[in-house]
Amino acid sequence: MLSVDRVLEEPVELYLYSRDASLMQGEATCVVFPETTEEVAEVVRVAERYGVPIVARGAGTGLAAGAIPVDGGIVLSTTAMNQIDIDVENRTAWVGAGVINLDLSTEAEPFGLAFAPDPSSQSACTIGGNVANNSGGAHCLAEGATTSHVLGMEVVLAGGETLVLGGQAPDMPGLDLKGLMVGSEGTLGVVTRALVRLLPIEADVRTLLLDFEDLEGATRTVSQVIASGLVPAALEIMDQKMTTAVENWLKAGLPCDCAAILLAEVVGEPEAVEAEAALISRIGRANGARDVKVARDEAERAILWKGRKSAFGAVAQVSPNYYLHDTVVPRSRLVETMEEVQAIADRYGLDVYNVFHAGDGNLHPLMAFDASDPVMLDKVHKAGEEMVAACLSRGGALSGEHGIGLEKRDMMRADFSELDLDAQARLKEAFDPAGIFNPAKVLPEGSRCFDFGGVRREIPDGAWV
Amino acid sequence: MLRLRWGETGDTGRGLGMTGTAGGGPERVAPSTVEDLSAILKKATEEQRVVNVIGGGTRQGYGSPPLPDLVLEMSGLSGIEEWDPDDLTVTVGAGTPVAELEAALGERSQTAVLPEVPGASTVGGVISAGISSLRRARLLGTRERMLEVRLVTGDGRVVRGGGRVVKNVSGYDLPRLVVGAFGSLGVITSVCLKLWPMPPAAATITIDDIGVADRVMRPLAVLERNGVTEVFLWGTPEEVAASGGRLGGAAAQGHRWPADPQGPYRWSVRVPPALTSAAIARLPSGWDYLAVHGAGDIRAASPNSDGADALRWWVEASGGAVVVTEAPDGGLDGLDPWGSPPPGLDIQRRLIAQFDPGRVINPGRLPGGL
Repeated sequence: MLSVDRVLEEPVELYLYSRDASLMQGEATCVVFPETTEEVAEVVRVAERYGVPIVARGAGTGLAAGAIPVDGGIVLSTTAMNQIDIDVENRTAWVGAGVINLDLSTEAEPFGLAFAPDPSSQSACTIGGNVANNSGGAHCLAEGATTSHVLGMEVVLAGGETLVLGGQAPDMPGLDLKGLMVGSEGTLGVVTRALVRLLPIEADVRTLLLDFEDLEGATRTVSQVIASGLVPAALEIMDQKMTTAVENWLKAGLPCDCAAILLAEVVGEPEAVEAEAALISRIGRANGARDVKVARDEAERAILWKGRKSAFGAVAQVSPNYYLHDTVVPRSRLVETMEEVQAIADRYGLDVYNVFHAGDGNLHPLMAFDASDPVMLDKVHKAGEEMVAACLSRGGALSGEHGIGLEKRDMMRADFSELDLDAQARLKEAFDPAGIFNPAKVLPEGSRCFDFGGVRREIPDGAWV
Repeated sequence: MLRLRWGETGDTGRGLGMTGTAGGGPERVAPSTVEDLSAILKKATEEQRVVNVIGGGTRQGYGSPPLPDLVLEMSGLSGIEEWDPDDLTVTVGAGTPVAELEAALGERSQTAVLPEVPGASTVGGVISAGISSLRRARLLGTRERMLEVRLVTGDGRVVRGGGRVVKNVSGYDLPRLVVGAFGSLGVITSVCLKLWPMPPAAATITIDDIGVADRVMRPLAVLERNGVTEVFLWGTPEEVAASGGRLGGAAAQGHRWPADPQGPYRWSVRVPPALTSAAIARLPSGWDYLAVHGAGDIRAASPNSDGADALRWWVEASGGAVVVTEAPDGGLDGLDPWGSPPPGLDIQRRLIAQFDPGRVINPGRLPGGL
C-alpha cells in the first residue's frame, strides 16, 4: 500500500526517528510517510493486524518524549501530509498534520490572517504536533492555546475508522470528540488534518521592554496590568541569567544589568495600542521599572521577539545540554515559586535560567549541565522533580503546554487520584482497546489493568509493499 | 453504611436532602455534598433508575428528555469555593446561579464570560447544555472557560480532570469534554473557570448596515435582533471612543444585552460564521431571532414548527445544525430535536459507557439516541 520509498528501515534512520527533543531514546521498528488519510488508515489496520504500536510524529520538537517509540513500533511521520486550504470568508483553514506552524501563518498572511498559537519552535513544529500537545506559545495569553483554535479535524481511530469531526459551525451536537483529541498526544488515534481558526492580523502593535531591579516588580506589573482590565497579547519575563545568555549570543540589545526584563505586547486598533502601551509603561514605572523601551518599528520588534524565542538556543550556546520543566502555578504565587526553584537549584549546585509566560503563570526553569556526567544528569532529574513538586504544592499543574509524554507520566500520580487516573485510562480504553496508539505515554502504568501482553514488536517482511 | 430507599423520606433520606413526593411523580433529591451525590448515583445505577439533573431548569427542552425516576436538584452544591482575582480563576459549585456568580465577579471588574441574560440558569446547567456567551465571537465559547471539572460518574465515582491554573495539558481534556455532554459523563459538582478582566469603558452602537461592523476589527460582539444590529465595544476609553467614531450610528454608554427570543418553539441555528446573514434570510417568516455575527450562532423562537424542515435541510447541507431547544409537549411531530446524527456515534457510545455504565443519567437525550 505504501511504496518502498515511503518506508524507512535502515538502522541510522531508525535511530534518528527513535528520538525527539527530549533526553530520552526509544526504538523504532520502521518509519512510514503516508500522504493521505486513507494511507494512514491502512497503516493503522496493518499495525492492528500484527499487534504493533503506532507513534505519530510531526517534527519531533516535543520536550516530553511524547513522540518516541518505546520498545519498538511504527513511527508514522506526518510530514507528507502538508496541504493548506484557506477559507478567507470564514477565517478558517484545513491544514495537513505535517504543515509547519509558521508556514500556515505565512500562507495566511496575504489574506490578513494568522494562526495564533506560536510555540518557540514554530519554525519547525507541525500543526499535528500542536494539536497532539495542545501547544501554547507566548501569544496564547489573550487568544488561548491550540485547542481554542481547532474547530474540526479528520482523524483515524482504532480499526482504521476515519471520522470528520466538528466543523466551521459552532457547537456541533454530540460529545466534543475533536476537543478530546486535542492534547491527547497521539494516544487516541491519528489526526491527519485539522480545521483551524485564523485570526485577523491586528491593525497595530506595540512591543515594550521593561527592566526591573527585582523580579517582584516585574510580576507585580503583570498582575496590575491585568487587574486594570487589559489582557495584552503577551507578557513574558526573563531573568538576568537568561537575558545575559541571550544577549551574549544574539546582541538583541537586552539590558543585562537588571534582575528581570518584561516583554509586553499589545495589539489592536491604533488608538487602543497607544493607550494600552502608555498604561503598561505607567504601571511598570510605578513598580520600579528603570526603563521602558518601545520598539520603534517592525525590525526592532522582531529582534525583541527573537531574543525571547531564542532563549533555549542561547543556553545551548553556553552549555552542552539543558533540561527544562514546563509547569504552571497560580499567577499570584509566581514570586515565591521562583524563589523556591532557585533554592532547589542552589541545593543541587545547578545553574538555572528562567524564562516564562508570566501572564499565564507558566514557568520554564531551565537547567544547564553536561549530560556526559551521569552524576549531573541524576542531579538534574532530581532537581527537576522537586521543582515540579514545588509547583504542584502551590496548586499548580504538571505541564502547561509541553505535554506529559513519557517524561512526566509517572508524576501524574502526584496530581491526580487513583479514580481520576482510572477515568482517564477508561477514556483511553474506549478509543484504543488494543493499546496500539502511542502506548506508555500520558498515563502511568497500572492506571487501569490494560493488557499489553498481546502487543508484538515486529512486523513481518513485505507488510508494507 | 448509607442506605437509601426510593419513594420514602426516612431519616437517611432527609439527611441526603430528599424531598418526599406525593403521588407518582419522580423523586426529587437535592444532595448537599459530593459524597451524598455519589451514594445516590451508585444506587441509581444498581437499581437502573433514570436520573435527570436540574440546575435552574431553563434548558430542559433540549433533546428528548427521558421520563426520570429521580430528579437531581443541584441547588445544594452551590457557591464560590475559591476565587483569587489576581489569578483570573474561580472555582464554583455547579448549582451556583450564573447571575449570582457574575454579580460577585463584577464587583472586582471580572467576568466568567457566561451567558449575559441567564435567568435562573446555573453554572453547571449552561456547561452541560453547552450554552455560550453573546461575546463568543471575540472571547470564544463556554468550553474555553473550562479549567477543571469535578464530577460524579453515573456509577458514583468522584473524578477530577484539569486543574486550577489557566494553562494545563496534564491528561485528557475532561473539563472541555463535559461541555454540551448533558451529564452523560457524570453529574458536574464543581468547575474552575478562566476569568476575563473587564476594561473600564463600554459602549453599544446601533448600525444600519451589517457591513459597517467591519470597520472595527474585533468588536466584543455584533448582534442582530429581528433586523436591528448593534455593535458592542469595550476597552480603554480611547479605544471605545475611536471605534465608536468609525462606526457612526447612535451610541449608548455601557451594554444592555438582549435576551434570547421567547416563544412556544425555540431553536438554536448553527452555521459557518460567513453564512450567518444567509441563514437569517432563510428563517421561516414569523420567527424572532438573535444572531451572534462572527460566530454563526442564531437563537430563534417561533409560534410553530412550520418551515423548520426546509431550514434544517439547507443548514445541514451548509455544514451546520438546527437544534430544537424548546417545544410544546408532543409538538415535534416527527422532527428530531438534533437533526441528522453526528459522526462517531460508536465511539461516543463507548466513551459514555466508561463514565455511565448503567446509562442512568439522561439516557437517550444526546443526538443519535445516546
